[in-house]
Amino acid sequence: MTEANSSLADPRETGTQLRPGLWQTVNERYPGSMIEKDRFVPLAELRKPLSKARLTLISSCGVHAKTDSSLDVCHPFGDFRFRRVPSRLRHQDLIIHQLKYPHDDADVDINVIFPIERLQELASKGVLGGLTENFFSFIGYNMDPEKFERTVAHDIAEAVVTEERADAALLAPA
Amino acid sequence: MPTVSVTVAKDVTEKIKAPRAIFLPWPMGHHFGVPFHASLQRRVLLEALYLLESAQVSGTIRDVNVKWADVRREAKTLTDQGGKL
Repeated sequence: MTEANSSLADPRETGTQLRPGLWQTVNERYPGSMIEKDRFVPLAELRKPLSKARLTLISSCGVHAKTDSSLDVCHPFGDFRFRRVPSRLRHQDLIIHQLKYPHDDADVDINVIFPIERLQELASKGVLGGLTENFFSFIGYNMDPEKFERTVAHDIAEAVVTEERADAALLAPA
Repeated sequence: MPTVSVTVAKDVTEKIKAPRAIFLPWPMGHHFGVPFHASLQRRVLLEALYLLESAQVSGTIRDVNVKWADVRREAKTLTDQGGKL
């Protein structure tokens, strides 16, 4: 395939990133909103087999229980709060409040973006040792990544370790 | 805390320098596939969990080579059959 042909290739068929250059595009549109780190954090090893590990799920998809108040999708700087999502809930118990990604399919089946029922199945089959009582979700859109790290990221991390006693975390940016 | 991320934007994950991630060439909002395709959703989870156990180096991003066109074809079959794969 020539370079010219390659640039015209359909990424749905080639298996390449469907929206290339996303970081640069968003950072040009909203300067300073995108996170960039200088170095990798040390790799934290899983200290027990998956079949004995308690997993948590953390997602920027903006899902929460229908019984909870919704997050603010309209604030120009973003909503620096998060929601605990009980891991026993099912698709019909949950709702998405997010404007920055298409969630038509996730509205039909929440597992498309927040695979809560699939994780319940893996835990019940013993692939996982268990799930934390709560999962976590927030709205990924915000204009102040440093404030986000100080508030949402810090508070979720603390809850995951001290309240939920998770052994590992699955991160699902939406 | 050991973490593994599921991403559809590899360039963003590279900038963030996540310790472990699997990359799927799929659209935003579809990190685990399409509605009611439970086996595909499960496969994505198992790919992520496998990397959680096996990664040796921080910054590992593993490609999951499932084309979006194939996922959509499977979704159409699923819809046509009116059932769940």
